[in-house]
Amino acid sequence: MLTDGYDKWLCFLLVVTLIALGVLLSGTGARKVGPAPDKALEREIAYQSQLNFLKKLYEPVESLRRTGNLQAALFKLDELARTYPNEAYGLILKGEILYRMGALEEAVACYVRGVRLNGDYVDWKTPLSRRAELQKVADEGLRLLGDKARANPENRSLAAALKNVYYLRSRLAGGCD
Amino acid sequence: MNLRDRHLWLVSAAGLMLGALGVLLSIWGNPENSGICVSCFMENTAGALGLHPNSRMQYLRPELIGFVLGAAVSSGSLREFRSRGGSAPLPRLMAGIFLMVGCSVFIGCPIKLLLRLAAGDLTSLGGFAGLIAGVWVGLKGFANGVELGAFRREPGGSGFLVPAVFALLLLFFIARPGFILFSSHGSAAQHAQWPLSLGSGLMLGAVAQRSRFCITGSVRDALLMGRRSYMFIGGVAFFAAAVALNVASGRFHPGLYGQPGAHTDYLWSFLGMGLVGWTSVMIGGCPFRQLIKAGEGDADAGLVVMGMFLGGALVQSWGIAATSAGVPLEGKVAVLAGFAFILVSCLLFRERPAPQM
Repeated sequence: MLTDGYDKWLCFLLVVTLIALGVLLSGTGARKVGPAPDKALEREIAYQSQLNFLKKLYEPVESLRRTGNLQAALFKLDELARTYPNEAYGLILKGEILYRMGALEEAVACYVRGVRLNGDYVDWKTPLSRRAELQKVADEGLRLLGDKARANPENRSLAAALKNVYYLRSRLAGGCD
Repeated sequence: MNLRDRHLWLVSAAGLMLGALGVLLSIWGNPENSGICVSCFMENTAGALGLHPNSRMQYLRPELIGFVLGAAVSSGSLREFRSRGGSAPLPRLMAGIFLMVGCSVFIGCPIKLLLRLAAGDLTSLGGFAGLIAGVWVGLKGFANGVELGAFRREPGGSGFLVPAVFALLLLFFIARPGFILFSSHGSAAQHAQWPLSLGSGLMLGAVAQRSRFCITGSVRDALLMGRRSYMFIGGVAFFAAAVALNVASGRFHPGLYGQPGAHTDYLWSFLGMGLVGWTSVMIGGCPFRQLIKAGEGDADAGLVVMGMFLGGALVQSWGIAATSAGVPLEGKVAVLAGFAFILVSCLLFRERPAPQM
């Protein structure tokens, strides 16, 4: 392989480059340039800031909901939705309020919109997780809306509501999306 | 069929192991019905390298690394590693991108298709029909002279590059430098313990290299040779192992609705897998087989793998990938663009018979 001087030069330079790489990676060089930014930490900080912002933003709605003032909570949500129309947090909250008011179809529709915008709500591990509530709504939806849809096969709004329930069940079942 | 033929038993063992580990990896922590999914793993790995911003799909999947390195070690130890390439490189790169498009619209590669079916997910039947149709159309193309051209031995050793890249990924996985991203939530955060994932990948890579087992290859051989073909028997062994383990572990839930990572846009499932089947026949194997071939020194397959990385990033960045809610407009457009690409390729890479005088 090493047939002439040019080959030997190339090999020599390769060895020098590899040694330089080794020195850089071993830390002697790394200490001088300082630590590299940790993207995972940066992302975690951004995520926590987003969570705090959302909690603060929707606190008035939460407090109205806690006191049982559901109608006022819905008004407040609509007001916030004018500024942040595609925020999943608001949609999930709206779903919870509508569910408490007994409007199952509308609640499921809100949950679906929220989950489609942000899948963290169906995960177990995230601070945003609403998995238990979503599971309850999906099970109840399948039971009640499924029976109704079978009894009224022509009813398009019932069919759409059932499709939403299937979507929620599919997301809760897991998979890779 | 010659029952004494060693290759028959090798192919059957490869099918059994792939089916069994496909379910076991899910039990050990990978997402439901995604114990092994080359396209999902490609998207995860592309995300981990910072090639797309979906924070739910970023993880350096050790299985993927294992497939390539297992094939490299197996072919190297048996003197089958041959650096080769030079057959239509850019079309193969593009084919890799469109393989990912087809898979992401269906939600899964051909291996995951069978795993979904083996778990009772009847929505995957549309994709299964599409895969068979795609392979059949590809075979018709072959019969009419469509071929990307023969490879040649490459004295420069470019076949070492892809195994080297995957060895580097293994190093990144172990050292975890700050620029590699790992999801803390979403499907990429669901994974088996890494020694299990890497071990399974290495084992499957070695066995698949020895047996040449591939899902689209099974379909192709079944269409060409019927039930006697070894690959078809390997495919049946895969499916039987996966069904048996799913039933035994209580993971068999037959039905159309509420299936994990599935949608009911059957036409687009059919077309997505049709694109994958047709492309796979043209380039000589499904996404899994491309990884194995890249591991044994095939630089052409290596370019397909690079295309799959690029495709994995694009399907997430451009919103092409389907979800349980269905296939987005971008996904439909991309599948049709894929068919346009493959049709133009067929026109350009066709050896036409000389006109009769």
